[in-house]
Amino acid sequence: MAGIEVSAITKRFGKTTAVDGASFTVADGEFFCLLGPSGAGKTTTLKTIAGLTEPDSGSIHIDDVDVRDIEPTHRGLAMCFEGYALYPQRDVFNNLVFPLRSPRLKLPEAQARQRVEHIAAMLGIDHLLDRPVTQLSNGQRQRVALGRVLVRPARAYLLDEPLAHLDAKLRTTMRAELKSISHTDKTTSIYVTHDYVEALSLADRIAVIRDGRILQVGTPTELWEKPADAFVAQAFGKPRINLVPGVIDGSEFIGADGAIRTRLPELTESVSEAQLGIRPRDIEIDPTGSAERGDRFRLSGKVYVLEHLGRHTEVTAEIGPDRVSLVAPRHEVADLRIGDNVGLLINPNSVHVFAAGDEGNRIS
Amino acid sequence: MSQKTVQTDIRRRKAWSGLFANLGLVAYFAFSLLPVLFILALSLKADADQTTTYLWFTPTLSNYETVLGLDDGGGTYIRFFMASLATSVGAVLVSLVIGVPAAYAAARYRFTGSDNLMFTLLSFRFAPELLVIIPLAVLYQQLGLYDTIVGMIWVLQLVTMPLVVWILRSFFQDFPAELEEAALLDGYSRRQAFFSVVLPLVRPGIAAVCLLAFIFAWNNFIFPFTLTSANAQTVTVSSLAWLGGNQVKFNLVAAGAVMAALPPLVLALFIQRYLVRGLSFGAVKG
Repeated sequence: MAGIEVSAITKRFGKTTAVDGASFTVADGEFFCLLGPSGAGKTTTLKTIAGLTEPDSGSIHIDDVDVRDIEPTHRGLAMCFEGYALYPQRDVFNNLVFPLRSPRLKLPEAQARQRVEHIAAMLGIDHLLDRPVTQLSNGQRQRVALGRVLVRPARAYLLDEPLAHLDAKLRTTMRAELKSISHTDKTTSIYVTHDYVEALSLADRIAVIRDGRILQVGTPTELWEKPADAFVAQAFGKPRINLVPGVIDGSEFIGADGAIRTRLPELTESVSEAQLGIRPRDIEIDPTGSAERGDRFRLSGKVYVLEHLGRHTEVTAEIGPDRVSLVAPRHEVADLRIGDNVGLLINPNSVHVFAAGDEGNRIS
Repeated sequence: MSQKTVQTDIRRRKAWSGLFANLGLVAYFAFSLLPVLFILALSLKADADQTTTYLWFTPTLSNYETVLGLDDGGGTYIRFFMASLATSVGAVLVSLVIGVPAAYAAARYRFTGSDNLMFTLLSFRFAPELLVIIPLAVLYQQLGLYDTIVGMIWVLQLVTMPLVVWILRSFFQDFPAELEEAALLDGYSRRQAFFSVVLPLVRPGIAAVCLLAFIFAWNNFIFPFTLTSANAQTVTVSSLAWLGGNQVKFNLVAAGAVMAALPPLVLALFIQRYLVRGLSFGAVKG
């Protein structure tokens, strides 16, 4: 187990900058997620930590030791590759036992076999041990790849989208399994994913990465409640947070063509253009207009689309030129039809204010 | 047009195209295999029939006996044969020992002048062998390499090495780097990863390149012709003896050639299972 410190890593491939001055620290035993869209530089960052890619600048410390000149073999890390990287000439057992037989570990054969069987059972691939990996489905291959990492003691696990190719049900199971392993083992883990649910559910802390830059690092709660900018706010939640562009007039926010108007709490920065971020679940439907409003403000719009998804219904409403989506319990919107006028209640304390632009900083 | 006419039409067209394809194949194989058949027949003809082209004759094995020296207990052909074997196998081994790591390095690492290096490796093959043969002969005389097995291995290696490096480089380039990276993180050094992960997977490529290199080395004529006389002379050159002198013996040359064709043939059969299996990189997501 080890703490990992990444300081100002930059890596260019030709003219494209894959990682652009990324810095973060992973504490010993922490489960750390790198969350970002594809092409954000997550894998490059991971490979740089592993020593497979040499950064153009910046440094990496593992347990306070600069690992610049330490070969990947000797960094003591285990990595799960997105492309599985299973050894095609070996069967499942021999793929799993390969790291245990390495000159680095040289586990006694009986002990190695026991570990492999234990991990295989945990991942539900124990019936496949003598199968060539070329005959496995993608989901099975992914579990073998993950197993090859978890089977050994390591200073840290580097996991590159280890659940991406599993079907939904298996993914949930494996996520729970991973969470339980990391809880009991306390092995430092860096987990790369583009799925915010995985990040929220697994991570102690999350770094949101875009175009090679780390936008924000924080606990799941921090990122959810106080996203540093509009991009981070959009990275979490489905449906996505509503971003309504508008102008600031004194302490009032005015949406395009004035359909949305609300008083704002004090801003940390004075700007003329801004955007309101409202999470779909922070909007309530007020069909009658008679509900107790309290300190909430009311917007009136028109139902544009209704999507009934079991217990909840996703409603998209038009307010002037803007569209706002919200999630409501099904029974509340049972009578609603497309085209109906609808009142929306919003608690001003749940509203995020960002400067204009897709990475506009948080100013509330 | 009804469904049925369409079907018969397609079937008819398939039959015709199949017929043409097969006729083409027959013509091609006739053209490439008839010379072999001709030589095979010639090697079984008695002296009286050696200038004829027909295939109707009384076969005899006497040419083989003469070439192998069975009637006079000579055994010189066997010696030439062994020299061929030693020099060809030696050249292939040298090319593999040096060429496989070279090809791997050329595929994996970009370093200053790496492209130039690959190009230079080929440069020896640009010129016809005749161009270098005179300086080479002088050099060999001076160095004492003339008419030695080692000297022959060294010069044949010049033929086979570029082949090995260029073909295997593309094999290594297609080899997914992630597999090696996985091995590195699994606790193996670069060298160990190469031997335990990479090498087993490029075996088909190595087998193919072995066969090609062996054929090139075995069939080389000009180098053994100019750089050997007796000790290291190979079968390709030794057959010439039957064309010199006061009587031309085509049937003996043919018998020698047929026997000389056996080792590449045997090697090809032996290696075939590696060749057809091809690479299976199924474990890496495409």
